[in-house]
Amino acid sequence: MQSRESVQPVRSLGALRLSRAENARERLVMGLLLACAVITILTTVAVVFVLARETIGFFLDPAVTLWAFLTDRTWTPLFSNQTLGIAPLLVGTFLVTGIALVVGVPMGLASAVYLSEFADDNLRRRTTSVLEVLAGIPTVVLGYFALLFVTPLLQKVVPGLNLFNPLSAGLVMGFMILPTVSSISTDAMQAVPRSLREAGYGLGGTKIDLVMRVVLPAALSGIVASIILAMSRAVGETMIVSLAAGQRPLLTIDPRETIATMTSFIVQAATGDQPAGTLASRSLYAVAATLFTVTLLLNVISQAIVRRFRERYE
Amino acid sequence: MSERAPDRRLPAAKTDMFDPGGANTRRRNRNRRLFGWATGLPILLATGLLAILLYDVVTDAFSWQVIEPNNSGVSFSFTDGFRFGGTWERVVTLDLLEQGLSQEEIDETLLDPEARRIYGARNRVELMLWAEGMPLRYVVTSSRDRHLTDLTLAQGFARRSEMEAALEPGQLFVLNPWLDIAFFTKNASRTATMAGLGPALVGSVMLILLVIAMSVPLGVGTAVYLEEYARDTASTRAIELNLSNLASVPSVVYGILGLSVFVRGIGLGPVVLAGALTLSLLVVPVVVIAAREAIRAVPGTLRQAAYGLGATKSQVVARVVLPNAIAGITTGVVLAVARALGETAPLLLVGAAAFVPRLPDGILSIFTALPIQIYAWVSENDVEFTHVASAAIAVLLAILFVLYAIAFRLRRRFGRVA
Repeated sequence: MQSRESVQPVRSLGALRLSRAENARERLVMGLLLACAVITILTTVAVVFVLARETIGFFLDPAVTLWAFLTDRTWTPLFSNQTLGIAPLLVGTFLVTGIALVVGVPMGLASAVYLSEFADDNLRRRTTSVLEVLAGIPTVVLGYFALLFVTPLLQKVVPGLNLFNPLSAGLVMGFMILPTVSSISTDAMQAVPRSLREAGYGLGGTKIDLVMRVVLPAALSGIVASIILAMSRAVGETMIVSLAAGQRPLLTIDPRETIATMTSFIVQAATGDQPAGTLASRSLYAVAATLFTVTLLLNVISQAIVRRFRERYE
Repeated sequence: MSERAPDRRLPAAKTDMFDPGGANTRRRNRNRRLFGWATGLPILLATGLLAILLYDVVTDAFSWQVIEPNNSGVSFSFTDGFRFGGTWERVVTLDLLEQGLSQEEIDETLLDPEARRIYGARNRVELMLWAEGMPLRYVVTSSRDRHLTDLTLAQGFARRSEMEAALEPGQLFVLNPWLDIAFFTKNASRTATMAGLGPALVGSVMLILLVIAMSVPLGVGTAVYLEEYARDTASTRAIELNLSNLASVPSVVYGILGLSVFVRGIGLGPVVLAGALTLSLLVVPVVVIAAREAIRAVPGTLRQAAYGLGATKSQVVARVVLPNAIAGITTGVVLAVARALGETAPLLLVGAAAFVPRLPDGILSIFTALPIQIYAWVSENDVEFTHVASAAIAVLLAILFVLYAIAFRLRRRFGRVA
């Protein structure tokens, strides 16, 4: 942006001065474009406003206290005897996310190493396309796959596995986040300058030494950022968990049990018919606000890591 | 990095490192190859997963079934070739003849679109392959038939002779391809055999057209503003930061925004327009990011030349920058469309219906969409609906692969590596 200041039309030369009509038109165009940019800000404002208004309404309800919301161990807003502790949903969310990270991060990092250090340009282009297609598979399709292909397969291996379980949802979600981890980490590794690699070879390092002790440490900020971003995607993922992990809030870390996550509760509450303004309907907003806060925090952390810990090689 | 002390754990240079045939070099080369393979493995796994997913979807879109035709003899087999329309009309003609209509009455009935629709809905005509005694013959079944067993493609091939031997009189062993021509036009139904994609396809097309109409001007406008107009001020940085955060807001949260603002707030109700508005907000960041990259790739010399000819800023944007960035912008729009086409959660929250009995007739009518229909069918507790869901997924994936192929080709053609 700054670099193009020199391209601005020269207004000081009288012969080139814009007429009044031209000036008005230029201002109009700029105003319209600015309006577009402002709408993107308004989207965020609207999200925050909507979530905040209903969530405040939720906590103003005499049946709810913030303390109970954070510490109660059961979540039954759709039942007649409501208890509203978000812990089962949070634990469920992070259980699925954890499984997804365990599956997705090592694979994503390994494929990033392969793409950045081993593959030639042609192979890299093809592979990137495959990963991009994988990232573009709609999550409802992945949910179908987890429920109807992966779960029956796992049930033969894992005893006591429920039809709806976080294990198969997490496994499939691991493949969903693989492209996120891989593409950002590949970029970070490719940004490691050649001079560092050559210095490593000059010291007699093997390719493995080089990857493990030069490239990975130098690209660490990008790698960590990619993992946090993948985590944020996994936390916000809805359809895989709705279809394959179930909709029964249960405070457990047993990956064979049917659980519920924040997102699957939102879908469950929204597709049932809860009249607007009731506590059950507002609980949806409270959960969504929690979800939004968690993902926003993860994004902010990821951006901060990139900014602060980026190695500069000038 | 440069200030750091050298890592002492790096192995010291060995004297044999310039000995290409030495044992040490051979070991190094072997380790290096092993390491390369090990890191490449996840890519193979991911490709394998894609292949298994496709295989599963495609084979699940077929099933072997034992059916008991329950329609007083209207079960015809054809050995005379593969003519969709012709076959269908012969079937309906025979069906009506059974009911005692004359040939003139039948001709008249066939001219009436509503009657055609009703017969089309009742008789699944297109393709159901009768397997008893090869070669396969076409079978007509109707919603009144009973479906007794359901075997997967592989199971059916393995147990074909056994199943055929056990058939009782009046039963047929058929190969049911759930994804046939009629599947695209049939309406929703509570019966799996009769359920089709008609309303979902129309709903998705309407959504996509509206999303393009709304998100492209908004996204490209924002990108042009940020790249060509904005100074590096705090407010510009706020817009950029906001965009990168918006790109990673979970889609279900957009759904809640749509539900609260468009459906309830301005009182649109669960209609096509509300869904399209929600999806547009969701894909705007995708369009902005792609458009910014494309605009940045337009060389500054072109702009300077235009200014030199006396063009104003808006003229430069409209006649130089945008025409030169159009390939990159189109790529971004295609990817955004692919994203919008597969998004389920926002539409579920906005209230897209799982069961829409007829086609939506405007942007203010209730609607369903491909992913919603898939979700509804997968959630049905019925193995036959699983096949319907697979058929729908096959259609959705085919559309997405075409879109991705277009995007990749555009990107390659215009020489920009993403």
